[in-house]
Parts: sequence; structure tokens; C-alpha cells
Amino acid sequence: MLLPGPPLETLLRRLADTPPDFLDDPRIGAAGQVAVAAVINDLLALGPGRASAAELQRFESRSSGDAGRLRMALVMAWLLADDTLRPHIGARAPLLELLHATAAELAGVASALKYLHDADRREEFVRVVLARLGLRPHGASAEQAADRLSALSAIERQRLLDASRAAEARAREIREALVRKAAEASADKWTRE
Amino acid sequence: MPVRDDDLAFCPTLTEHGQRMLDFLREHPAAPRFSNQSGNRLLAAEVDALRGFVRDVQAAEVGWPRDGKPAWLAGFVRETCRDVPAHRRWTHLPSRFEDLPTTRRADFAADIARHVPDTVPVERLINFRTTGTTGNPLLVASHPVVAARYLAFHLRALRRFGIELRHGRGQVGVVLLGLQRRCFTYVSVTPLMDESGLAKINLHPDDWRDPAHRATYLDALDAEVIAGDPLSFGELLRLPLTTRPRALLSVGMMLSHGLRDALQARFGCPVLDLYSMNEAGPIGVADDAAGGHVLLQPRLYVEILDPAGEPVPEGERGEVTLTGGFNFCLPLLRYRTGDHAALVHGAHGPVLQGLHGRAPVRFRAAAGSWVNNIDVTHALAPWPLPQYALHQRSDASLQLRLAPVAMPHAAAVGAALQQLLGPLPLEVQPLTAEDKVLQYTSALEIGAP
Repeated sequence: MLLPGPPLETLLRRLADTPPDFLDDPRIGAAGQVAVAAVINDLLALGPGRASAAELQRFESRSSGDAGRLRMALVMAWLLADDTLRPHIGARAPLLELLHATAAELAGVASALKYLHDADRREEFVRVVLARLGLRPHGASAEQAADRLSALSAIERQRLLDASRAAEARAREIREALVRKAAEASADKWTRE
Repeated sequence: MPVRDDDLAFCPTLTEHGQRMLDFLREHPAAPRFSNQSGNRLLAAEVDALRGFVRDVQAAEVGWPRDGKPAWLAGFVRETCRDVPAHRRWTHLPSRFEDLPTTRRADFAADIARHVPDTVPVERLINFRTTGTTGNPLLVASHPVVAARYLAFHLRALRRFGIELRHGRGQVGVVLLGLQRRCFTYVSVTPLMDESGLAKINLHPDDWRDPAHRATYLDALDAEVIAGDPLSFGELLRLPLTTRPRALLSVGMMLSHGLRDALQARFGCPVLDLYSMNEAGPIGVADDAAGGHVLLQPRLYVEILDPAGEPVPEGERGEVTLTGGFNFCLPLLRYRTGDHAALVHGAHGPVLQGLHGRAPVRFRAAAGSWVNNIDVTHALAPWPLPQYALHQRSDASLQLRLAPVAMPHAAAVGAALQQLLGPLPLEVQPLTAEDKVLQYTSALEIGAP
């Protein structure tokens, strides 16, 4: 269930105005300029509170293969710090998951620069972040928000497909469990209808 | 005395005392041939939790304000629409509860798995098979804890009639009766009642080495409660019993006042007519003082709907529709039961008045007027009829089928029918079906005004 969130336009504008500092290379080992873990900890300090070193470990890396994901996390941190979004940011764990897992999913599709400079990708980025926070753009119905997101986003379509597969697998498991046990062999009731 | 492994598999908390009870129930010289093995399947922690559940159900208030909803309803709807795949279509819940769509038995039959919440672990799922009055089988998802919770509602119903159960270790708590050619029979113990015995038996003579053993065995068990349906209770009346249970629980079919009175007179104890179904468990108990079936479950909201699915004004008849329940494997969301009644708030809380299974059927009297099946029920109420079925053919003639034990009343019952419907041709035959039948049917009602 998606709850009403901030206006889409506000967030699209903020994303388009991402400061160049956020697009500098993330620090990986001795290379790069931006300490991503520190930026994220600053963001957390605005909402649910600073994270432990262990929680932040996933935003530090020695592998150049993580550069795309970390850059995406930086851009996401910039978006999440918007005044209109901050009241909607709840607990630390889901926020860290968003900055880690969702950033990785997005980075698997396109670069951060592509998400910033292409209008459709920009909208996808904002809508994905909103949806993972359980929000829909101000003025849109939940159905409209879900439809638009799945039209724009390959990762959303994949997520829906995975969810549908998982639901079918579980339904199959339940059906098999129910059939496995003979009906009345089940358990004691003091009356039988 | 060692506890046997095969019994432990069905009764995981079994002690020596429970084992002794199981042996007594199975090995009594007059015991029937038990065809199956089953048990309570409860784990120790679940038994402890169930004690709390029983206490809560006893202490709870049942009902909601006349023009309002129960306080728990909104949260229940939110959770159900979040956790149950069949209801997850909602990204934004309707603001009015009445705008949620209703569900039916056919929805469960189509795919029960989609109605089981994601939060329920699959490993301990069990099922109860039900045929309802339509004859279409349905597997109802359940859990050993859900089955054991029935007792909480039985205790609440019994308390209403001044009965507090006291049987425990070394005694038999309940005997469940069937009267079918094939019946699932077994013995067990009830951990919540200190391992009092439970026997599910079939009164059909074929299940016994000697039909006379039925009375011997029931007397030997001397159960505190006997549960059954009107058919098996009709048979019970014919047995030369000396046992005196403290209560009889009738479920599964309509219990006529005549049969209820005969049972009460014979056994000198209350006969509780429970409105219960596999999908929801015990919903209500008939209480003349309250004018109908008093509701038993604190977390079950009952609506009465018209055929279009709209709530009817208080006191008007419609379809009994349920939301909530205690089966966490199958939360009900506006579940249309197919049963009909009116709901009235009073001193006893919400009461179902004039409860009747399935949609009303009307019969055309000789004079051309239409008579509701409820009037037929009232007209036949004085006789102890365990089961009957009335059909009106397209030429308006009547076919009345009576359970074989009720055939001696055929002439009197026929006369009562003709007094109600006028001098229509009437044929009375024995009813040989072994399960529920459609009680009222008519070939004339189609196209009736």
C-alpha cells in the first residue's frame, strides 16, 4: 500500500540539480574523493540516527567493481536529504537497505550519470526510491503510481515478476502441504462440522 | 508405564496418564473398531499459549456498537490485505469497509492456497475437509492450535448454560458421534483438560462387533460432553444408555426443537445447538432467552447482506457474512456463508435470529399463496426429526423425506404440512442419504413472483 508522498516535480528538480561533488569518484581503497559511508552517516543523522561502523561497512570497498553502486548510493543520499522526503524516512535498517540493495539494482541497469541526464531514467530513479519508501507522488493514486513505475522501470518489472514467481511457489507449497495430510487425520476438535 | 512412539507422534505432550487413557479407550471390551489414528498434535509451548487464549475468550466481550464496527476491524483488514495473496490487489484500501468485495466458498474452492497468509509457516498446516450443503468438497487450511481453540468457544457456550467442565485426568471429556457408513474414528487426549479422553466414534452398527456394545461402551466412557449432529443424536436416543453427560453439543445441521427437547428430557442436560462451520469454527449458540444464536467469538464481525452485497437494516434477513475469526491460516474477509438470518443487538449482544442454512425457499400452497421455508420449519418443529428434506415438484405436489428413525412420525408430520400448505398431494419416503442434504427445494420457485 503506497501512501501519499512529496510532489514528483520537486524531486525531479532536485535530482537534476545534483551538485558536482556528489558525482566525484567514490573512495575505493586509496583512490577516489568521496567517502560514501561518511555521506550516508550524515544523511542518517538527519533522520533515524547515525549508524554503527558495522552497518556502514557495505559502503566501503576495495573493489573497483563497486564504483557504480557507490556512486548511485551517493546520488540517492542527495535525493533523500530533500526537505520534502525527510519526514517520510523512518527506521535506519530499511533506509540502509535502500541505499545498498536498491542502489545496486539501479547500478546494474545504467550508470548514475545516465539516471541524471536522461529524463525517463530520472523519473524512474525518483519513482523507485518513492516506492521503496512506501510512497507515491503527491496527487497520483496508488494505482497510477504503480502503473507508471512498472512502465518506466525494468527493475520494477523484474521485481513484480520475481514476486509473482515467489507467490506461485508458495501457493504450490501450501497446496502440496494440504493434500499431503489426510483431512480428518489432522487434529482434535471437540466438535466436527 | 512407557509412552508409545506412535501415540507421541499424534500427541507430542503425551504423559503416562494420557497413554493409560488412550489404552482404556482402545482396549475396552466393548470398544468399536477404530479405523484411524490421529491426535491433538500440540507442542508444549502451544498448550501453554492455548490456556491464555481460553482465558481471554472467556473474559472477552463479544459484539460491537449497533451503528459501529469492532475496534479491531480496521487493523485486521489492513493486515489481511497486506499478507493474504488473494486480497493483495489493494494498493489503496477503500475508505468504507462495505466497499471491500465479498468472498465466497467458491473462491476458497478455486484456490485455497491464495487465502493463506504469507506469515503462516507451511510445515504444520493441516486441513479439514468439508462438503457443506452443496456436496462440493473443500479443503480448509488449518493448524493444530486452531483445532484446539474450538474448546475455548465451547467452554464459553457451555458457561452460558451454567456448565463449567470439570473432567480431567483419568476421565473422558468428550465423545464425538457420527452415524455414517464410513466415518473417521480414533481416540486422543485433550492436554488443556489434563489429558481427559476424547473418542470419535461411529454409531453405525457396522463399526461394532456387536451393536449392543454401543451403549456398553458409551456408558463405560461416561463422557462429560457428547458432541454430534442431529442424525447421530437421533440414533443416540434409541440406545439403552445409563450415562448422563453434563451437556450435548449439536453441530452440522439444523437441530429441530422437537429433537432438542427429546434429548434434554432423556439425558437431563442442556443440548447446545451450535452454529459452526469449518471455515469459521463455532460462530454462535442458540439461546431461547436471547431469541436466537448468541455470538461466541470476540474477533468475528458479522454482517447481514442482501443479494447485491449491501448490508440490510438491523433486524432484516439476509446472508450471514463473516470477517475475522480465530483461524490464522484462513482469515475471513467478508465471507458469505450461504446461511441466512437477521442480526439484532440486544442485552445479549448481537444475536442471529431465524438462522437458516442456504437461501430461503418458498412453497406454493394449495390456495396459490407462497409460504416461506421458515414457516415449514416452525410447523415441523414439534417432532424429533433428526433430518428431513421437503421438495415441491413442478405440479405442486410435495415429496417429504424423513430419516428412517423418524418414519413413525410420518402421518403426523404430513398432517402438519397439509395444515400449513393445504391439501396438496404428499408423498413421504425414507431419507437414505448419509450426509447433509438440501433441506428445502422447489421446482416451482423459479419464475415465482
